[in-house]
Amino acid sequence: MAAWRLVPFHRYPPRENMAIDEAIFREVQRSGGPPTIRLYGWLSPAVSIGHFQHVDREIDLPACRKGGVTVVRRPTGGKAVYHDDDLTYAVIARENTSIFPPTILETYQVISQCLVQGLHKLGLEAILSAEGRMPGKDSLDASCFFVPSLHELLVKGRKICGSAQMRSRGAFLQQGSLLMSFNPEKTCDVTMPHGEPRARRVQALREKVTSLYEHLPRSVTGEDVCKSIIGAFQDGWGVSLAEGSLTPGEEALKDHLLETRYGDLAWES
Amino acid sequence: MKVFPDDLLYSREHVWVRVEGDLATIGITDLAQEKLGEVHSVELPEIDTEVERDEPFGAIEAAKGMVELISPLTGNVINVNEDLIDDIGIVNSDPHDTGWMIVVEINDLDELDDLLDSRGYHDFILQEVEGE
Repeated sequence: MAAWRLVPFHRYPPRENMAIDEAIFREVQRSGGPPTIRLYGWLSPAVSIGHFQHVDREIDLPACRKGGVTVVRRPTGGKAVYHDDDLTYAVIARENTSIFPPTILETYQVISQCLVQGLHKLGLEAILSAEGRMPGKDSLDASCFFVPSLHELLVKGRKICGSAQMRSRGAFLQQGSLLMSFNPEKTCDVTMPHGEPRARRVQALREKVTSLYEHLPRSVTGEDVCKSIIGAFQDGWGVSLAEGSLTPGEEALKDHLLETRYGDLAWES
Repeated sequence: MKVFPDDLLYSREHVWVRVEGDLATIGITDLAQEKLGEVHSVELPEIDTEVERDEPFGAIEAAKGMVELISPLTGNVINVNEDLIDDIGIVNSDPHDTGWMIVVEINDLDELDDLLDSRGYHDFILQEVEGE
């Protein structure tokens, strides 16, 4: 099997992060380029919202403006994620790449299993949720982390990573956010609903969500986590990951997407 | 083995087309809905908008993901299935019939030549699975 590409960890502005992921996805879709794993962080706090979310109803835009939080729409589905101290990943490949089963949920599970192994290597007893709500269906809460759904990563019964996928023309992109630390207050401030008492919602998030640094010492760095996850992808799938950067075509497409798509929350597919 | 009705045409993006004169009813195939899983919502164009062949005309949200809907034809949307608002589940339960999505007035009937019949679609699926 040909080497996969690893786009190593780097922090980017929020909109650029989404434009990079979509540019890679569109190029893999168009030209059948190598399956790619990208790890990244956020240069400034952001809320990413799912493709189908209603920004006016689900995000507190004044609070975001006041707090210096950029709101950006993801190409993928799912609910809102507050990005600050998280490690975000993207897996991009053709749907018929032999490692991945045909359905969205099965592919999601295969990727999640690698993340579980990556966390195990760090000493975290992560498991996959065997049940849960399907996002967008049962929960009125706009936050991705409010209720775990099927095949999501849990540590001691609390969600630590949220992910979502998009597919088109035979390729898929899965994005996910692994929490290094978690700020339930900030998550509550920027996502709706504000109807119920804030303290109750903060407490509910505190009970349902966890993060790496609740269980691991701060001496474990983001770099350690990246290494562990990369190792788990390589071992779990038996693939060789070669570090690479964006192709000139992907760079140009990223710039185009930044101008045309990711400056505007209202875009539709 | 899935059954793909003989009276439909199929795109390589897993969309079916039922042609009646210069009108095309469009939906997703049974295989597409199976790969999606439980569908939650669908985003479709409004009536009297243009859709373009090989370009997205909407999107479907399912458990843990979304899928772009790629138009098999160019034309003007003259009808949208409003039943999907009340019961999105029919996309899963009856994708080739009541789960239809839009009706398009076809601009160029020659575009139909690029679509597959049920046998061709069946063979395409097998090739796709063996693609890697």
